[in-house]
Amino acid sequence: MRVGLVGSGVMGEVHAAGWRTTAAELVGVYSQNAAQAERLAEEQGVKRFDGLEALLKAVDIVDICVPTYAHKAAVLAAARAGKHILCEKPIALSVKDGEEMIAACNAAGVRLFIAMVLRFFPQYRLSRQLIEKGQIGSLGVMRLKRVSAPPNWAEGGDNWYTDEARSGGMVVDLMIHDFDYARWLAGGVERVFARLNRAEEGHGQYAQVILRHKSGPMALIEGGWAYPKGMFRTSLDISGTDGLIEWSSDSAGPLQTFTLSRDGNGAGVNIPVAGLSEDPYALEIQHAYGAIVGNQPFEVTAEDGLEALRIALAAKQSIATGKAVSL
Amino acid sequence: MRIGILSFAHLHAEGFQAGLRGIPGVELVGFSHEVGEEGRRFAAQFDLRWFPRHRDLLAEGLDGVLVCSENSRHLELVQMAAEAGLPILCEKPIEATLEAARAIRSACENNGVPFMTAFPMRFAPSTIALRKTIQGGQLGKIYGVNGVNHSEMPDHHRPWFADKALAGGGAAMDHIVHLADLLRWQFDAEVVEVYAELDNLFYPQQVDVDTAGLLLVKLSNGVQASIDCSWSRPKWYARWGHLKMEVVGERGLSVLDSFAQHVHLYSRSSRPYSWAGFAPDSGQAMLEEFIGSIREKRPPCVGWNDGYQALRVVAAAYESAASHQPVALGIEG
Repeated sequence: MRVGLVGSGVMGEVHAAGWRTTAAELVGVYSQNAAQAERLAEEQGVKRFDGLEALLKAVDIVDICVPTYAHKAAVLAAARAGKHILCEKPIALSVKDGEEMIAACNAAGVRLFIAMVLRFFPQYRLSRQLIEKGQIGSLGVMRLKRVSAPPNWAEGGDNWYTDEARSGGMVVDLMIHDFDYARWLAGGVERVFARLNRAEEGHGQYAQVILRHKSGPMALIEGGWAYPKGMFRTSLDISGTDGLIEWSSDSAGPLQTFTLSRDGNGAGVNIPVAGLSEDPYALEIQHAYGAIVGNQPFEVTAEDGLEALRIALAAKQSIATGKAVSL
Repeated sequence: MRIGILSFAHLHAEGFQAGLRGIPGVELVGFSHEVGEEGRRFAAQFDLRWFPRHRDLLAEGLDGVLVCSENSRHLELVQMAAEAGLPILCEKPIEATLEAARAIRSACENNGVPFMTAFPMRFAPSTIALRKTIQGGQLGKIYGVNGVNHSEMPDHHRPWFADKALAGGGAAMDHIVHLADLLRWQFDAEVVEVYAELDNLFYPQQVDVDTAGLLLVKLSNGVQASIDCSWSRPKWYARWGHLKMEVVGERGLSVLDSFAQHVHLYSRSSRPYSWAGFAPDSGQAMLEEFIGSIREKRPPCVGWNDGYQALRVVAAAYESAASHQPVALGIEG
């Protein structure tokens, strides 16, 4: 199938590389930032489209990697054009928008995959498999960490991540991964209590969220744009009646390289490095593509993406009101 | 200096007896324990003189006592020791209820005896260094602290830890106080709000107390902190559990893992795999402070109020867990 990329930022680049690991034909890219799109198109040896409509005419699948506030318009346009859709997380900025997007795709008979990439990280997948097999019994307390440095764009870039109105902010953009993961493991959430402290200057912030699941388990989810530049730490600690699973990004990977100097340029957003061969971003695109081509269900549905958003918005409400929020 | 141990019910008495014997000039006279069979066993195991009645130990002309009973019996023993005019080092939590904790203060004040709450983590080099880091401003303004004091269920050491009547609660009663006290001390601040989820998620068929607990608290300086007090480590874990604090600030991050110093031990005896620690023993430093305060006739550096404030956080956690909303704590004491 022919694939078109909408958006040419960090996730656009990552997804483009992911598509290269599939049998799909990456046809081209469209972005409002023409210079950035030109660069990506050149790197990938594909066409740069001047408009979304032109791209939609030329493809079977649209991969939407634009900022969150622009998801809805792009998804609705792709659905109208009858194209299958991959869309970056979070699905939208509001539950209502997400519901409209899902309804539009259902009505148009197109598939909608929300790129909840954490579900494709091997250590998170393995942990879930172990839990499913009963290796740790019934779930008790889950601890999930995801704290990075504040997003930092190249000079002149549009730092939309730090604009709450366009990204939903750190709680929605970053913590949604672990809200989804907790829900994947323990099911629906009954109650949310959250706290967040902000830096006096700049975009630094740090949040802690307690989830209580309907089935009993509880979770502590830690998220932040709060670490010194270059740091990104994630971890999971999942305990049950018969055992425990621990993993931390602090532990060494399969290869560590230490060099004398390190140059300063890098992507604006830190992306955790998994193993060497299993890139979770490629895995999620392979999965989505395979499910679309084979007409199979997605492992993570658009409704899952919407429910994760609902938890994130409840956390924001709890932060704003200082009260626990029942779902 | 003659020291006695009132009750050997608390597991820590085992470490304290060895620690006291290692302090020059201290004579550990013995311990009292009113359950005969246990008393005889501990006496033989640790080669200690056993007093079947607390009064008999208190009649030995002591200079100070350790209270190592079950939580809900602290008050009774503290009253006896206070009436005997003896300085007291009392196990944590200070008591099972705030009312009993306040009665401890009255007993000590009325008899003019100093009271120390046993918070050994204040004496760990790692926590002392962290306090300097925080107070020296190296981390900038602090956003929050991710606190972990999860462990195995301690009932196989002493069943009363999971007996509500004797312990006053479960994991929350057992573990919140260490981190509550460290937070108060690290920041020179009080806990002003507590949210908690507490439940018996790990041993629902075996015990009738909370075994899982997560707290989010707010300090008077605006810092937020989580406390995981769960008995969530399996009994076949490599050690009893952890004490960790990750302090996240605008200018940096400190990761405290107080028991990080260990070798990996694979042994045919006891646990097949375990972490054998080589960090300095903070319990020993705490005992030395208690002995030093008696010698120098000064108040110990951790007092009654520290034990009381930590117990207030526990009480607020139980209240929050019942109401499903945060509970405000006024400044008191």
